[in-house]
Amino acid sequence: MKEILYYTWGAIVSFVVAFSVGITYMGLNRKITARVQNRYGPPWYQNFIDVIKLSSKKTSIHHGVMQHMGPAFIMVTSVVSLLVIPILNGNKFFPNLNFQGDLIFLLYIMVFGPLGMALGAGQTGNPNSAIGVTRGLSQMAGFEIPWVMALVALMIQYKTTSIVDLMNVQVESGRWLMFSSPFAFLAAVMAMLGMFRYAPFDIVGAPQELASGPMSENGGKYLFVMMSAGSVFAFAKLTLYVDIFMGGADNLIILVVKTFALYLIPMLYGITSPRYRTEQSVRWFWGWPSFFGLLAILQAALF
Amino acid sequence: MINDKNSQKIVDIIQNFARQHSIWVLAYGTGCGAIEIPPTMTSRYDAERLGVRGAATPRQADVLLITGYLTTKTLKRVIRVYEQMQDPKYVIGFGSCTINGGMYWDSYNTIKALDRYMPVDVYINGCMPRPESVLSGFAKLQELIQAGKADGAKKYKENLEWYRTNQKKVIPNWHMPEYNW
Amino acid sequence: MEEIKKAAIEKITTHFREVTAEQHNGNRVDFFIGKEEIPAILFYLKDEMGYNHLSHIACVDWLEEKEFEIVYIVWSYTDKIKIFVHTRVDRENPVMDNVDMIWRQANTYEREMKEMYGIEFTGLEAPEEFLLEDWEGPPPMRRDFDTEAYAREKYWERPGREDARDVRETIIERTGEELPDFAKKYKR
Repeated sequence: MKEILYYTWGAIVSFVVAFSVGITYMGLNRKITARVQNRYGPPWYQNFIDVIKLSSKKTSIHHGVMQHMGPAFIMVTSVVSLLVIPILNGNKFFPNLNFQGDLIFLLYIMVFGPLGMALGAGQTGNPNSAIGVTRGLSQMAGFEIPWVMALVALMIQYKTTSIVDLMNVQVESGRWLMFSSPFAFLAAVMAMLGMFRYAPFDIVGAPQELASGPMSENGGKYLFVMMSAGSVFAFAKLTLYVDIFMGGADNLIILVVKTFALYLIPMLYGITSPRYRTEQSVRWFWGWPSFFGLLAILQAALF
Repeated sequence: MINDKNSQKIVDIIQNFARQHSIWVLAYGTGCGAIEIPPTMTSRYDAERLGVRGAATPRQADVLLITGYLTTKTLKRVIRVYEQMQDPKYVIGFGSCTINGGMYWDSYNTIKALDRYMPVDVYINGCMPRPESVLSGFAKLQELIQAGKADGAKKYKENLEWYRTNQKKVIPNWHMPEYNW
Repeated sequence: MEEIKKAAIEKITTHFREVTAEQHNGNRVDFFIGKEEIPAILFYLKDEMGYNHLSHIACVDWLEEKEFEIVYIVWSYTDKIKIFVHTRVDRENPVMDNVDMIWRQANTYEREMKEMYGIEFTGLEAPEEFLLEDWEGPPPMRRDFDTEAYAREKYWERPGREDARDVRETIIERTGEELPDFAKKYKR
């Protein structure tokens, strides 16, 4: 009983932390984008206000059951992946549900959200949603390849499928995996650009072309759920990268510093890039990132 | 607890604050006024610092910005868009064409007063209004939201008969689904 | 250019009998012809003389003469000459030959003319209303259609614009300009 309470408490704490940090990152993204474009920009807490407003809007749209389930699927995906990923090195305040093989589990569960979203968007009957979903899934087929290659390389090299084991390897050797297997890191970071769906890979929800794509029929509370799920998921992904490649973090401040440093990569690359079409982005992902992934597997297998 | 009167007051204050500082605009570029929206949004005047941001679809938007004259043909679409938006929603009439017809006052195909057909919360006059006046219009809307007086949608629901009569007078073939909120 | 224009006039006047030509400055030649000859002359211009670009089809309402004037403007990429082909149709019973088998895009202009002037084109492929949706009044671009009275009657007007007046009246008042006789008849 005490165990369960402990885990529940840990889940709530990690969700709150992930939500607030993720939303702050999104706000900072808007602010930094504005500064790059020589604007003053919204305040950093603008996204908190947006989230409150969206949650206070009334919704009276009904297209079918799956439409209501779609945002819930994304939320479930975000929360489950957040619970599996260890947030800090010492597991004192953030107990997580890691187990042997959770890296493979993560590979699957991270695809679950977009698929649920696809079902939900399909039921709305909006043509823009359908086009956006098609583009999103094809783009996912692009970046999943280097991402899986990077993870497989790590699994081969250290003969483990557990995130905690990978963290322990780094703590024991004192060397981040970012340096000991650089090709895997390169491939994974390039795949991350696609995962975040910032420019140049933002054709999925491009407001000017597709009227925001999959969520074009979802307003108000649905958008609130999607926005918070997106920010939680962003934080979970960044934490996963920090855990695997940057040796994890001992306390929250180090975690925030490391994740923000990592978050700057897709953000700044996005601000300074135009937009790729779907086939261009798939070709991009199957080019250099996959090559680096291949190199990483070779390095893991041969050395 | 939510139904308690005092806590409802606090919730209202928080919600009104959020609505006031997060305005997602669906700019319906019917007329020449659409050209004033890019300078308002980009670096010279930067409406985003007030929380004003473009929305892609009517489902996500809070404010419908009618930029310029409305022919009977576009009025039909505008009403459709307005009824797809989710509460709370506001309408800003932009330019003198929406107020009294502007330079199209004797056109055979252009309506002359927007508020006969849709509830308008804020009018911005001018032909064209410059981005400063657009921003002042948004500031006025924020004021109204804070005071809880931006109740155009409520007015529309209560006087739907009157609005429908006016709309059907200028749109003879009314093939539209009825308003269901 | 003058030689090309002369050659074009020569060719057309020898081939068609009841045609009058008129030269303009620049790269423009005008022909006036009866309405039965229109498909023939357009075919001839396109196939024999290489005027294969239809720029525009315009319509002029000659209310006093009780006629509509239809102007076909064609352009040649080799000669670089604009040819205007004018014709007149009766205003009471405006029926005109359809030329969209020569140029497909003529259909667009003809549909517009049908809506705006009420000219009937034989065999015009016009699936539905084009620009004017739900229009119930007379064709609005005809000169005897009183736009202002129609607008005043149909659309509610906000008070406070009673002093709104035609800009031409203001100009006449200020400059003391004389109105031509035909314009006085249709003065508001």
